[in-house]
Amino acid sequence: MAASLRHSTLFTTVCRQLNSTLWLNVGGRSIHSSAVCCKNRAARIRVGKGDRPVTYEQALHPHQIAHRKGWLSQHTSNLQGEDGAADRTVEDLFIRRLIYGTFHGCLADELVIKRRGNLLVICALMLQKLPPHKYYFLVGYTEELLSHFYKCPVKMEIQMLEEKSVYKYL
Amino acid sequence: MAASTFCPALLPLLRINCKFNGVYTRISLNRRAAYSLGLTASNGVERQGLPERGNQGQRRQRRAVEPRTERMTVDQDWTAVYPTAASFKPNSVPLPVRMGYPVKRGVPPAKKGNLELIKIPNFLHLTPEAIKKHCEALKPFCTEWPAALDSDAKCEEHFPIQVESKAYVSAGPSLRNPNARIITLTVKLSSLNLDEHARKKLIRLSGERYNKDTDTLTITTDSCPMKQQNYDYAMYLLTVLYHESWKTEAWEKEKTRADMEEYVWEDSPSQKNILETLLRMRPLGEKEEEGEVREELLGRVEVQEYKDSVTKLKNEGETETNMQQYKEAVKKLLNI
Repeated sequence: MAASLRHSTLFTTVCRQLNSTLWLNVGGRSIHSSAVCCKNRAARIRVGKGDRPVTYEQALHPHQIAHRKGWLSQHTSNLQGEDGAADRTVEDLFIRRLIYGTFHGCLADELVIKRRGNLLVICALMLQKLPPHKYYFLVGYTEELLSHFYKCPVKMEIQMLEEKSVYKYL
Repeated sequence: MAASTFCPALLPLLRINCKFNGVYTRISLNRRAAYSLGLTASNGVERQGLPERGNQGQRRQRRAVEPRTERMTVDQDWTAVYPTAASFKPNSVPLPVRMGYPVKRGVPPAKKGNLELIKIPNFLHLTPEAIKKHCEALKPFCTEWPAALDSDAKCEEHFPIQVESKAYVSAGPSLRNPNARIITLTVKLSSLNLDEHARKKLIRLSGERYNKDTDTLTITTDSCPMKQQNYDYAMYLLTVLYHESWKTEAWEKEKTRADMEEYVWEDSPSQKNILETLLRMRPLGEKEEEGEVREELLGRVEVQEYKDSVTKLKNEGETETNMQQYKEAVKKLLNI
């Protein structure tokens, strides 16, 4: 008898709890059982104490592309009726990694890759970490290697900065 | 303010330490001073004396060279600064451009180190002066348009066959595009030497490719892999069509009334009916030859009019004018 009573009271409390989830009981605490929706974390630097300098590229999130930001890579493959988009994307990724490694610590900002016909132009902003003759050598080395790899002329246009251009502090 | 006074005071110490303790001391001092250096970097005053960040072991100081824009005159030759397409160089463009979304209560970021200005394509190499120079350079390779071909009609008359092909330009290592092999050949049948039979046969042979309204035959070829091959194939098709249409096969004699492309009044039920009607309408008693009567009747103006109206109706369909014409012709024939 007592056991059945206990079971029934347990049952009623469980029912009440389920009811409360359905009726969105603000006062009570209930189990939420909806699907998970995670926050978007792509290419975002979260707001912090205010001591971290970020560039314009890092400060604006990806949903601002075509609103306040431009595109880092330009080619015709994404137009209607053109093919080769996947190949160009893979080429871009490879080039970014190669240059990030070749000029390690010297890059001030993301690379900009432009394609004019079959000419591949890589525009980079660099910090003055190495003496100029080393930069010249690395630029020539990258151009030679990439043009042999991709069988098309590759040009690098680099600009030197004293330090990274800060847009804001997050 | 404390930060800005901190660095110069330490400067002689830094230099002395370098000689004895080497790199390590400099790195640690630099790291501690890094944040403060970052804050005061906008003042150009202390720049001259400070060694560069991360310049390990380099005692040579790299002074910031003034940008090229300072030495540009107003009437310089811009085509020498940007002779070809190039990305935006802030030290070569003497314009105070700003680009970017401004910070709150701030202004858009300046051009120095601005990635947005580098991302966008610019037309600094295509000023009107530059284009004039391009035209001048291309002129020796151009020839005049022939003076005799001064109207479209003349071009059509001398060059009746028109061949269209498309070339594709895209950005990528390869310049091959499979859609570039398609050839379209258009020719007006009026410019070809065809008699009635040949014309009808050619139209029948070409089927969908003939456009009645503009009297053009369009041949599109894309079955071969190369443009030249498709062009040769199109010309071959045109030649074959032309020659075949001039030939008359044995079985073409069996063309029946149902195969005719358009309505022909001679020997049609309409002609027979009208002749019968008119014969019956004649007053009795006149015995004449059947053949002569027929010829006479056919020669009459009203019969000719009736023939025209019926042919029009059958060929062009029923329109207001056609129906009116038919009505008038019938009324005249039957003396109503």
